[in-house]
Amino acid sequence: MQNNNQIANPQSGQLPKVKGPEMNDRDFLNDGLSTCKYLTDSLNIAIREASHEQLHSDLLQILTETHQSARELYNLMFQNGWYKLEAEEQQKLQQALQQFNGYSSQFPY
Amino acid sequence: MTTTVSPPNQQMQVPIPTPPRVITTKDLLYLKDALSWELTAFKKFHFFAQQATNPQIKQALDKAGQMHQRHYQKLLTHLQVDNYTAMANLPGPQQAQQLSQ
Repeated sequence: MQNNNQIANPQSGQLPKVKGPEMNDRDFLNDGLSTCKYLTDSLNIAIREASHEQLHSDLLQILTETHQSARELYNLMFQNGWYKLEAEEQQKLQQALQQFNGYSSQFPY
Repeated sequence: MTTTVSPPNQQMQVPIPTPPRVITTKDLLYLKDALSWELTAFKKFHFFAQQATNPQIKQALDKAGQMHQRHYQKLLTHLQVDNYTAMANLPGPQQAQQLSQ
């Protein structure tokens, strides 16, 4: 059933209709993005464990740049219609807002 | 049995204000890991870029590959340190004795 919650670009017709075992452009981007995701997770732990300041800041910069690179690959996938997003129902947002607004009695500040 | 008397060289130890620029055992393990990940990453991105057909995707993959190679070079500089000299320059009990004289 088609709803109006979908956020997606039309898929550009670059990929073969019938896909074979060989890697295509979408696979390359997907795998590249996975590599970046793995790197950011692992770098994060290395940074947390770094001993001195210079090492810490260099690793942190590498982490930031890797995040940016992952984002660029994600954006490119979205532009090519290989990422579909779905908007949540407005009612669900309102319910959550009410619920978490209700916790204000617990705020210590 | 416990003692409350601290060893003499602990009293003379000059505090080290911040961790020195020394690569620790743990640092080296993580650096070697990160270097291996980066190496695989930029080899892979280079290969993918060669295989990709869309020029825009090709360019994006190459850009990512070059970035990971830069990161590799950056990490490598942390192995070009002189741990021996850095350790020798740490304030130790002997320097502390000289200061207190």
